[in-house]
Amino acid sequence: MNASLLEVRDVAKSYGAVTALKRASFSVRSGEVVALAGDNGAGKSTLIKILSGSISADSGEVRFAGEPVSIGSPNDAARLGIQTVYQDLALCDNLDVVDNIFLGREPRGPWWRGFRVRRPRMERLTADALASVGIRIQRVDVPMGHLSGGQRQCVAVCRAILGDPKVVILDEPTAALGVAQRREVLDLIVRLRDQGRGVILISHDLVDILKVADRIVVLRLGETVADKPGAEWTEHTLVSAITGATAGEQR
Amino acid sequence: MNLRDGRRTIATALMGPWRTAPIIISLVAIAIFFNTQSSLFLSSRNLTNLANQIAVLATVALALVGLLVVRQIDLSLAALAAVCGGIAAKLSVESNLNVGLAIVVALAAGAAVGVVQAVVVNVFRAPAFVVTLGGMFVLNAVLLWLLPATSVIPLADTPLEKIANTFVPAWLSYVLLLAVVLLFAGMRFAHHRARLGEGMPSNLVRSTVIPAAALAAVGLVPLIFVFNAYRGVPTPVVIVLALMAGIAYVTSQTPLGRQIYAIGGNPEGARRAGISVPLVTTVVFATGGFLAATAGIMAASRELGVSSANSDLTLLLEALAAVVIGGVSLFGGRGTVWAALLGSLVIGSISNGLYLLNASTQMRWTIEGLVLVAAVAIDSTISRKSGAQRDS
Ligand SMILES: Nc1ncnc2c1ncn2[C@@H]1O[C@H](COP(=O)(O)OP(=O)(O)OP(=O)(O)O)[C@@H](O)[C@H]1O
Ligand SMILES: [Mg+2]
Repeated sequence: MNASLLEVRDVAKSYGAVTALKRASFSVRSGEVVALAGDNGAGKSTLIKILSGSISADSGEVRFAGEPVSIGSPNDAARLGIQTVYQDLALCDNLDVVDNIFLGREPRGPWWRGFRVRRPRMERLTADALASVGIRIQRVDVPMGHLSGGQRQCVAVCRAILGDPKVVILDEPTAALGVAQRREVLDLIVRLRDQGRGVILISHDLVDILKVADRIVVLRLGETVADKPGAEWTEHTLVSAITGATAGEQR
Repeated sequence: MNLRDGRRTIATALMGPWRTAPIIISLVAIAIFFNTQSSLFLSSRNLTNLANQIAVLATVALALVGLLVVRQIDLSLAALAAVCGGIAAKLSVESNLNVGLAIVVALAAGAAVGVVQAVVVNVFRAPAFVVTLGGMFVLNAVLLWLLPATSVIPLADTPLEKIANTFVPAWLSYVLLLAVVLLFAGMRFAHHRARLGEGMPSNLVRSTVIPAAALAAVGLVPLIFVFNAYRGVPTPVVIVLALMAGIAYVTSQTPLGRQIYAIGGNPEGARRAGISVPLVTTVVFATGGFLAATAGIMAASRELGVSSANSDLTLLLEALAAVVIGGVSLFGGRGTVWAALLGSLVIGSISNGLYLLNASTQMRWTIEGLVLVAAVAIDSTISRKSGAQRDS
């Protein structure tokens, strides 16, 4: 059994008077899909924002490959090999698809070429990445704002996988997708796992979660209330854990 | 295709690659109108003067484009221009400093003021509108201290005067144009080769030859029919075009340019992509200060003197009008260098034409104001029709 790649222990985070996370813990190994389930406001997005360096935790510990790390900025996360698809996607509507996918890490020429971005290269890599998630976007040079919700979501997923990450975090990546695209993204998740990456999936779709997750962690009111292998869950037990209706865990 | 789809297609085109078409059409209309009123308007002498005047306006407008794109603004630009013009004049004329050095000091001062204002905006997360409004007051005070109300530093027969009153000889202007066209063609060709290298289709004629030829034509027409038909290209025009070309390169071809637009489109998204938003906005403010200083020095040179009356709010307001006419969004994320140029040409030619017709100041301001409102109305209509209103 291999060790945890990314591990979170007793992380807490408050926004003023609102406690978003109290005692959240979970871990993901290489080649494993961990699903984070929980009701609206349970703290799932807050937890992954901490892991992606876009906010910082009040207390708790994060370990990467066994070492304690502090992820103070999105760049720290990227350096560790953590890539995130945010719930709000964090795309720029005024930039085109290619520029969004490479934002912040454009391949560029040397100084004597004037640091010019390698646009043709970016376009090809974009086309390849889009094809790998099975999305058809007629042109990769249209502004992001002109794409449909599902297309935008696929672009955000491509952005994450093009960083060659060790851990991919997906916050509701299928929420806006049609049937075919949803299947593509789920297949992609399985493929990412088979390539030996760790995948953290957040979704409200319990059927999807049960289908792809190797382990399911349930958050309730900012606390980890359950953490079991995927095969041990059923839709029924999952609903109970999420809503807090299980006798043993009721308070 | 029904009528509504057709309208939408046109609007989408106007939002995208054809954004400048209505402005160019307006410019042609303005030129035709004024030429029917006064045959002087299209004379090479008047157009050369016009270009020299517009150089200052376009430089301030250029500073505003960058700031507006990153969702900031700098209301102190015109005051800063006056202060920096004053610094250059005082150092070179009163303190007998070498002109080159005086200019460098003035430019550095402009950039430094930009940095200071950016730091205040970033550290306190204060709205730039208010911070730079305060900056404008302080800079006006600095100007009065530098040049007390009655004092004027005359610049006639000084090296500073040479800037605006030196003309590039015809042969040199053609050599410069050729160099620019070759550089541009080289860049297009490199892009063409790189596309083929990635296994993507690319057509040499369409990717390289036609754009380079178009650039050559766009450069040759004013050179032959305007500047070289009179005394040559005024130095300020060369300076502004060089600054614009440089900034156009950075904004459209480098990672920094992507970062600037990304911040305008979605600051939080840019931050999560690892972009340092405070650093990039500081660079934009500093560049704005540098450009304001350039404008101030050119204005001092053209007006043959500096005084505390040089701090000209009209310059700031006209520059703001120019960039809006050029299609820069006041909400950030949209706008190009060419917006500054074309918008300044519109504002500058209206102002110059009415001046030739001996129109009163009231009349000039009324017309400029109405043109501005019309431009914004048209712009908003186009963005709404194209369905791209999400950005505002
Ligand atoms: N920026 C913020 N400021 C204040 N409170 C916040 C902020 N972000 C989140 N919260 C609060 O933290 C709690 C957890 O929010 P979070 O977004 O992590 O929930 P979630 O589990 O992702 O929910 P959902 O399923 O709806 O996406 C909520 O009560 C929310 O109101
Ligand atoms: Mg969420």
